[in-house]
Amino acid sequence: MASVDISGVKKAYGAVAVMHGVDIPIRDGEFVILVGPSGCGKSTLLRMVAGLETVTGGEIAIDGRRVNDLEPKDRDIAMVFQNYALYPQMTVAQNMGFALELAGRSKAEIKAEVEKAAEILSLTALLDRKPAQLSGGQRQRVAMGRAIVRHPKVFLFDEPLSNLDAKLRVKMRAEIKALHQRLKSTIIYVTHDQIEAMTMADKIVVMKDGRVEQIGTPLELYDNPANLFVATFMGSPAMNILPAIVQDATVLVAGVATLPIVAEAAPGTKIAYGIRPDEIAIDPASPVKAEVIVVEPTGSETHVTARLAEHEITLVSKARLTLAPGDAIGLSFSPDKHQLFDAATGNRLAAAG
Amino acid sequence: MTLFSQAFRPVGSAKVDPVLIALWVSLILLALIWITPFVFIVFTALKSNATVMGASAFMPPTELAFENFAAAWWRGNFSTTAFNGVVITVIKVPLGLFISAMAAYALAKVPMRMNKALFALFLFGTMLPFQVMLAPIFRQVNAFGLINTYPGIILPYLAFGIPYQVFILYCFFSAVPKELSEAARIDGASHFTIFRRIFLPISLPVLSALLILDFVATWNEFAMALVILQDPKMWTLPLGLMSFQSQFSSDYGELNAATIMTVLPAAIVYLMFQRYFVAGLTSGAVKE
Ligand SMILES: Nc1ncnc2c1ncn2[C@@H]1O[C@H](COP(=O)(O)OP(=O)(O)OP(=O)(O)O)[C@@H](O)[C@H]1O
Ligand SMILES: [Mg+2]
Repeated sequence: MASVDISGVKKAYGAVAVMHGVDIPIRDGEFVILVGPSGCGKSTLLRMVAGLETVTGGEIAIDGRRVNDLEPKDRDIAMVFQNYALYPQMTVAQNMGFALELAGRSKAEIKAEVEKAAEILSLTALLDRKPAQLSGGQRQRVAMGRAIVRHPKVFLFDEPLSNLDAKLRVKMRAEIKALHQRLKSTIIYVTHDQIEAMTMADKIVVMKDGRVEQIGTPLELYDNPANLFVATFMGSPAMNILPAIVQDATVLVAGVATLPIVAEAAPGTKIAYGIRPDEIAIDPASPVKAEVIVVEPTGSETHVTARLAEHEITLVSKARLTLAPGDAIGLSFSPDKHQLFDAATGNRLAAAG
Repeated sequence: MTLFSQAFRPVGSAKVDPVLIALWVSLILLALIWITPFVFIVFTALKSNATVMGASAFMPPTELAFENFAAAWWRGNFSTTAFNGVVITVIKVPLGLFISAMAAYALAKVPMRMNKALFALFLFGTMLPFQVMLAPIFRQVNAFGLINTYPGIILPYLAFGIPYQVFILYCFFSAVPKELSEAARIDGASHFTIFRRIFLPISLPVLSALLILDFVATWNEFAMALVILQDPKMWTLPLGLMSFQSQFSSDYGELNAATIMTVLPAAIVYLMFQRYFVAGLTSGAVKE
């Protein structure tokens, strides 16, 4: 159990800089999830914490101790890889006990640790199998078992569930979360699945192009995104962003809808008006008219894509809608629920007090 | 009949596939071409000299003349040549493979500045034709005073065997996902431990294939041995066989018995190690 301090970390491959100064403070026992589009540097950052990549600049400290120049084995971390990386010629038990064996622990001790971890992960019946004889979900569990037996200060996960089917993913998500509650260990977890991030994390770090865009709890990021990137990245379906012009106490959205706003901006300013799909309702009485393009029932709710002026917007309704493409609908936007962003910088505009 | 009709159909199909028939026919023809001289050798080895001269070469022997083997062993000085062959092969083959495997691991998995250049050097080694090097090697070995010694022949064998083994093992090791060695590094394994505990076990099929090839090549090697091992006490089996041939060329039964005794160990080694060719040892290491 330990804190991890990532401060000003930079990474360059030769002349190519891929990380430009990343600061992430992580408290003891926190479950931190790194998200961001492909290529933004999540894996690279995780591998630097693990010691598998050198740190070009800045400092990584685990439990207050600078680890930049330590070997992976001396950092007291364990890592679960996306492809599991199990040792093919060893049994499940040998895979899980390998680190302890290398550390020179006694046979009895290793056996006890492995059995304890196998118990937690319900692998007891599989201890004598080889990785080739396991299903994907079981291999994933063995990879976690290999991490658990070492009682590391920090667990590192790099997209551990992305090779599993949807159902198993949901199950493993719950298992990892339960594991975290049980072990109370610090976890840094990389994923590009934002449902995974929202449901599991204590704290989410949104990254883009080797920079941190925002750090916060899942709901903070959802309710108060710092900029357009975070606003559209978190949440599914994504937040609607429409161009708008500020008027006196109102805003003209997409050139057609005049709506009240709660943000300080001088009249005439061009801004981006953001609203989540579930904050838009269908209201035949509304003067704002849109044309239905696609209707997607998911069972519990219905996603509707409609054209407002020349912009596509998505709305989510709990009701069973009988709409067909081409239908005209009226839209009402929940007042106060919008988020306004500077059209030029993409930064969130402060709400008026 | 059922076996035959199955062999000519694609799995799960009722139709006979003409391509499969053609493949089978060519396979059988090729096998016949390969087996014919061998049958001839075995038959002849078991015939007395009189029968060899009298009957057709492909007539099976009527009474088995096993005494050919004993006589050839004794007359061809097989105890000495076989002993030398065993010493040289048993030292050279495992040692060479071990060095090659370590070199290939270092080139493929240990980040070093010189990796590319060193690998190119090994590649260059695979391109040198061995015959061109015979004379310079003789001079070199002579200069070291190693003519007619085991090291004198084993060292050049190593030099010529290692490059192509390194090349093949390098390709194999490079294809092993890097996460496997990274996981081991995190588990606290040194490079040598990763090599011994992870890479050697998963490369068993490749290693045993290389071992068979190298064993056969070393066991049967002739040109280099002829140049360096001049003392009959140091001869290997192929040299002994050649001398046997020139001395007793008319004694066909014994000559063929000697040939069989020369090639038999290679065949035995092949049979011993081919079972490690099992594929799929790496499957399950990482999600495919
Ligand atoms: N060995 C390398 N040499 C050069 N560039 C690299 C190397 N490894 C990664 N990169 C670059 O670093 C950047 C970050 O890569 P990284 O693997 O961390 O992305 P990621 O966020 O994990 O993406 P994904 O979600 O696709 O896994 C990418 O632009 C990638 O091209
Ligand atoms: Mg990645």
